[in-house]
Amino acid sequence: MKQSDNWHLTDILDYEHGRGDPFAAAVRATRMPMVITDPAQQDNPIVFCNEAFQELTGYTRDEIVGRNCRFLQGPETDASSVARVRDAIAQGNDIDVDLLNYRKDGSTFWNALYLSPVRDKNGVIRFFFASQMDVSERIEAQQIINDQKLLVEREVGRRTAELQAALEAKTLLLHEVDHRVKNNLTMIGSLLRLQVRTIDNPAVAAKLDSMLERVDALAVVHRQLYQSSDLARFDLGTFARNMAADVVGASGRTDIELRLDAQPLLVDAAHASALGLILNEILTNAIKHAFADGRAGRLSVVVDEDADCGLIRICDDGPGIASTQRTKSIGTSLITRLARQARAEAIWSDNAPGTCVTITFPRSETEA
Amino acid sequence: MTTAMNVLIVEDEILLAMDIEAIVEDCGHQVLAEAASLKDVENLPDDIDPQLAFVDIHLANGSNGLDVSRVIQMRWPDALIIYVTANVAKIPEDFSGAHGVIAKPFSHAGIKHALKYLADGVFNPPPSQPLPASLVTSSHLERRWAAA
Repeated sequence: MKQSDNWHLTDILDYEHGRGDPFAAAVRATRMPMVITDPAQQDNPIVFCNEAFQELTGYTRDEIVGRNCRFLQGPETDASSVARVRDAIAQGNDIDVDLLNYRKDGSTFWNALYLSPVRDKNGVIRFFFASQMDVSERIEAQQIINDQKLLVEREVGRRTAELQAALEAKTLLLHEVDHRVKNNLTMIGSLLRLQVRTIDNPAVAAKLDSMLERVDALAVVHRQLYQSSDLARFDLGTFARNMAADVVGASGRTDIELRLDAQPLLVDAAHASALGLILNEILTNAIKHAFADGRAGRLSVVVDEDADCGLIRICDDGPGIASTQRTKSIGTSLITRLARQARAEAIWSDNAPGTCVTITFPRSETEA
Repeated sequence: MTTAMNVLIVEDEILLAMDIEAIVEDCGHQVLAEAASLKDVENLPDDIDPQLAFVDIHLANGSNGLDVSRVIQMRWPDALIIYVTANVAKIPEDFSGAHGVIAKPFSHAGIKHALKYLADGVFNPPPSQPLPASLVTSSHLERRWAAA
């Protein structure tokens, strides 16, 4: 008997008694299902299988020995995995592959097959040695994880698309609302202007004009806000400079000298309308009262800030208004109360000649 | 020397058209015609001679100010074209050949100030006064006045 056939001796041994070849006994007794095939015989049949293999497959040794391993395959077995096994055998390589196999009773299990050639001292392949392991639980767990992952990905995709659509709808709505605000502000101004033209009473017309200027001031505030990239802050310094230039420029008064010393001064956008109205009152009042009846003069606008506060000072060199008269005007009352709302302070002082109005903001406001 | 401009108003919102017309006339200029759509502009007679056109972007019957601007440039090449719109973002970088834009909501003072500046540019280019904040001009206009 050839050396390589030694393990046949163990067929007749009772491994539990530990007799015979101890390696062969170990192979028989291990919980790892194992087979050995003989490539020298027709169709590389199984020449040995251990107890664990019989338990795994449900076949008896008589039903196993003499057959090619492919008898474990069935309709659901992956053909490309089988092809890999076939190629490995043909090329004499070892291979590690998960195969869906079928038991005698038709039930399936995932088989982690490890197959390797056993060569003699001349390098000729004498046997193939294959160990199997039932890894159905691992494969099924993996399958469940994959299914779940797919499910989660699909759900995430669906929700993202929903949110994207909701965002687009909101953006569209925002643009629409913004557009309506602009159009309505424009229309309110136009309506008031058209109305003013029909009024014969100069006192009433003047009051309506003042109202119109306030609406215009709000319109300009809104325009500057929507054209700015910063939604939270409003550049009151630039607004003051533009408004002074517009008010003097539109008045057609070349005899009013405008001195501008303005720099950007950022304030909380929530206070933009109140502060815009304040500046409108101060500037339009200066044109109407300080330079009334064609009196020439000088109007100065200074925007400045230091460590503690932001400051806007508007001065004229007109005759000035008595403080008692000033307190009665709606303009003064508007300025004082709007300033309080915007956490600013308005102070009137004598410009000798003329009047100065100084608006100060706490530094925290200018940084807001 | 005359300083009155002939003005075309292209605006589909009748209240705004009336308002702009009144402001233009208060400032001493003449309104030649009003139009609410591209077709209205195409139907204007050939023998008018506008020096300035205020053009809204969103116009009646689905037409728009950019197309109107091109028609005006073809029919009256000397006219200044100023968009008056709340859709400033829709104006291409080259203004489609127009010369400036006044953003809505406009103020009375803003339009008057812009009219003074434009009249100064039309009759005595380039304008001697600073550009009003209410008006944004295109590079064509600067070149045109620099060459005048």
